[in-house]
Amino acid sequence: MTETPARPTTGRDMHTDFDIEDVSLAENFEEVLDDLVARCPVAHSTVGKGYYVVNKHADVRRVGQDWRTFSSADGWLLNPPEVTIPILPEDLDPPYHDTWRRVLNPFFAPGNVSKVEDLARTYARQLLDGFADKGECEFVADFASQLPGLILFNSIVPIPDEDLPQLFNDIDTYSFGPLDDRIPAFGRVYEYLNDFLKARAEQEPKGDVIDVINAGVDKDGEPSPWEDKVHTLLDVIFGGLATTTHAMAGAIYHLATHPEIRRDLAAHPELVPNAVEETARLYPPVVAPARTVKADVEIAGVQLKAGDRLALNYAAASRDPDACANPGEFDIRRTDVVQSAFGVGVHRCLGAHLARLELRVTIEEFLARIPEFELEPGTTPSYESAQLRTMKNLHLRWTPSA
Amino acid sequence: MKVKVDGALCTGHGRCYSLAPEVFDVDDEGYSEPRDTMIDVPEEHEEATRHGARACPEGAISVVES
Repeated sequence: MTETPARPTTGRDMHTDFDIEDVSLAENFEEVLDDLVARCPVAHSTVGKGYYVVNKHADVRRVGQDWRTFSSADGWLLNPPEVTIPILPEDLDPPYHDTWRRVLNPFFAPGNVSKVEDLARTYARQLLDGFADKGECEFVADFASQLPGLILFNSIVPIPDEDLPQLFNDIDTYSFGPLDDRIPAFGRVYEYLNDFLKARAEQEPKGDVIDVINAGVDKDGEPSPWEDKVHTLLDVIFGGLATTTHAMAGAIYHLATHPEIRRDLAAHPELVPNAVEETARLYPPVVAPARTVKADVEIAGVQLKAGDRLALNYAAASRDPDACANPGEFDIRRTDVVQSAFGVGVHRCLGAHLARLELRVTIEEFLARIPEFELEPGTTPSYESAQLRTMKNLHLRWTPSA
Repeated sequence: MKVKVDGALCTGHGRCYSLAPEVFDVDDEGYSEPRDTMIDVPEEHEEATRHGARACPEGAISVVES
């Protein structure tokens, strides 16, 4: 990292003075990521307590797979607030991590997820009914922020119908609302989930994931403490909402701005699963979760010490030309996709198969109902971007069919 | 052609059994099956198997060309 090239779009030198929360990354996302991959395998930041960012595909894979050297136990945030609520099993290492995953995995495996498809399609069509005839929509609010919760809470993580409006509202405020309103909204969600789990524990088992979370798992020979169960339900829920929202918005944004791909997909629906992979690769909701270094180790010539914090830049790794030819191109005919959007190693996204299903249904149903559409002229989507990334709005228009 | 999934590396991304379902199976947790076993690949599925192996985010799949 001897070069310190001028970056016309930002006053910052992203190689030696990286800040994952800097607005220039949010606005010049692809450009900054490609620059890091090309010229800075391990970036350094002095923000907060300081951290490193691992950018190359091969290094991200190595770090992600080596949970003994790179621990998740200090949480996924690089600079967490003083009081922070862990989400489990994300913020755990094996073996306790794996015991949770073993009981959660079956609910999110392809066999169980495939049972959700009809429901997903029904809700997608309902949301499309709400705006297809209007000739315009704000896709994030009108569709992408709603569909993941509608599906999840009416299938794999069943929440009573009467509780859904308030829960949706609080989750939406926490995920997308004004900053000052987010922590109180999170408090209400936490309290609701805590009470919901307790209430379910007193009812007859239903054989669903809530029963499995309530049953808990073995933690060093003891049963899981109560709060771990609440934190597991938090992870299962938050892992699958705003993240999928962003990927859905990314997919539809890309199709709005690339009519040739849109028409290709309409003519070749068998390529939709490829479009889903390309969406995950190029519009990743999880940019870079954190790890703590447990033993002195070298990565790409940079010496790290025990106690250092680092981020695994999944978003950059998916754009590494050493792993994916012409990485900037959204190519639905690729046969060499290696994307890291769902993570690498034991923390592989629990809901990856559900997310893929939701994205496939979104693309199929949107194109079936609204084959031709474009960005509302004069608008561009804005993003909220740090270790997670969210498209805040996506204004579309089309000519309604008669 | 033969192919093998490393059970220590497979974390259940499912790329292999999605791209080459005739060769790779899936277990109840979403992991590829079988693991740590050489699988004979019928000639007509060789190309799909290569794609599935290359797409593995963990690099867990080794292909032995015959």
